[in-house]
Amino acid sequence: MDVILSGLGQGFAVALQPFNLLLVFVGCFLGTLIGALPGIGPINGIAILLPIAYSLNFPPESALILLAGIYYGAEYGGRISSILLNVPGDAGAVMTALDGSPMAKRGEAGRALSLSGIVSFVGGAFALVLMTLFAPLLAAFAVKFSPADYVALMVFAFTSLAALVGKSAVKTLLAALLGFMIASIGVDANTGVMRFTFGSPDLMAGIDFLVIVIGLFGIAELLHLVESHARGTLKTLKVDKTFTSWADLMAVKWVMLRSSLIGFIVGVLPGTGASVASAVSYGVEKRLAGESGKNFGHGDIRGLAAPETANNAAAGGAMVPMLTLGIPGSGTTAILLGALLLFNVTPGPLMFEQKPEIAWGLIASMYIGNVALLLINLPLVGFFARLLTVPQQYLTPMIALLAFIGVYSVVGNPFDLYVAIGLGVLGWILRKLDFSLAPVILGVVLGNVFEDNLRRALSMSGGDWSILLQSTNSWLLYGLTFLVLVLPLIIAYRKRKAQLISV
Amino acid sequence: MADRIFAAITLLVVMAYGWVAFMMIKAPFQYDPLGPESWPRILSIAAGLCCLWIIVKPTVNAFDITRHALVRVSLMTLFLVGYAYLFEHAGFIISTALYCGASARLLGGTIKQAVIFGLATSLIGYFVSVKLLELNLPAGIFKNLI
Repeated sequence: MDVILSGLGQGFAVALQPFNLLLVFVGCFLGTLIGALPGIGPINGIAILLPIAYSLNFPPESALILLAGIYYGAEYGGRISSILLNVPGDAGAVMTALDGSPMAKRGEAGRALSLSGIVSFVGGAFALVLMTLFAPLLAAFAVKFSPADYVALMVFAFTSLAALVGKSAVKTLLAALLGFMIASIGVDANTGVMRFTFGSPDLMAGIDFLVIVIGLFGIAELLHLVESHARGTLKTLKVDKTFTSWADLMAVKWVMLRSSLIGFIVGVLPGTGASVASAVSYGVEKRLAGESGKNFGHGDIRGLAAPETANNAAAGGAMVPMLTLGIPGSGTTAILLGALLLFNVTPGPLMFEQKPEIAWGLIASMYIGNVALLLINLPLVGFFARLLTVPQQYLTPMIALLAFIGVYSVVGNPFDLYVAIGLGVLGWILRKLDFSLAPVILGVVLGNVFEDNLRRALSMSGGDWSILLQSTNSWLLYGLTFLVLVLPLIIAYRKRKAQLISV
Repeated sequence: MADRIFAAITLLVVMAYGWVAFMMIKAPFQYDPLGPESWPRILSIAAGLCCLWIIVKPTVNAFDITRHALVRVSLMTLFLVGYAYLFEHAGFIISTALYCGASARLLGGTIKQAVIFGLATSLIGYFVSVKLLELNLPAGIFKNLI
């Protein structure tokens, strides 16, 4: 407990510096703005803004505070386009559109927006408190991890990714493997041997992380927007004067609590972020509501509150494994992890000891940011809603503009612009074929960590593979891996059986 | 079908990757038991199996896109390549004005809107990035003027 209190104290000392405080607000504002734009979710927003934030030469903790602000700001803002446009900014906001959009259509847009704003705050705050309590514990536990344990952790992370994310486990796995393959390009750090560079000096250092992120999430998103634009036009609903009431909040108080918990836990699981969390909590609430749940999907406030609480709780939860283990809990936190690495900060158990100003500064800034978001979102929702009417013909080219500025000002090599475009086309095709892109970026970020730990473990044992199975921690993790694989099968089996009986 | 074609192409890429991993990558002497070649080998085998699986059991049959949308997306890709080329050779201001103007027009803006948008983004973008945020962007032919 002392560690937590002194850590938080130190963190607030960092986060309350006027410049950092300003960045929290700027980040939250930009994040909400990006989240509110139709079709652009948190992951795309961070991808597009990361290089620019990097090239501003802020100290690492300040840049991260800015990026984190954008991150949960975008999770907040995503609900605006879901509710008013019925176009979710990302997978995590899909569930919000189910009940939010019917509410707006029936003239309760203001009520839906204010209620979802408040439950987002509750979910976010709940996750933050849990994060403050558990992150240092997990870090202290993970300090003792050996390379073999890390290998087990990676196996667990990618198994739960394959089992829980995306429509097809094989496709998710292939996506992650493609990410690993991209990460293996360049000079091998241990031996200095060139891998897959084909003698090209442009590839010697590998493909820059920023270029991959910009390509897969910026340019691919742009092509996706062009495509959906060509297919039809979007219609925006107006924000009206309705507001949520105390009775609304009381009606969803248990929904908020359950969804926060579900969101946080799902968020902590490696690889699964806001999208899985909101889907699970929506499903749970619908089932718990029983007879009274037949309104779900037609504008039930519980159906709005559950996914909105859960996706913000998951946004916080996903930060936990990223900060303490160096294993991101979602695609978006994978990009944040990449950002940390750019600043030469290696996230993981040692970060809390070696760079407490960054670890705790970030956590403290999230407390401030959560309050800031509530303050920004409730009164200014009309302003953000007006952004939805910015015509696509202006919005879409801006993505390319920001992407190019970012790539060029950081990497400074025109070759990378073409790489980003190529990856963008690849990302667009992958999305068209029901691959999710988050596993690719997780693969890119974790590829070298996975390989390094595997090689280190085998160096220790002199090439004997049984070292991977020798510690309690690794057995524990393989056990969890097994559970993640088997549980969905059991649930599906019981569901089928229940259906058979009811028929 | 779409899945199968994609998986087949990916399989070819993976095989090329695997070929390099098995045939080309060698460390001058053994530093660690795995060396630089084992990891790519494992990856190529695993990825190859995934591709085969998708070829046998595809989940997406049609590449769901209209002709109209495909033309738009291809044009946008061409614009992007052109933007990248001009970015390097003609500088930020000219390339951005042309790209933003052309894209705005492609996405349904009038010619007047496109011209104004192109000029505004290129000039404002340049001054905000270079003067305000001190980022490094190619000045191109305006190098001596600004």
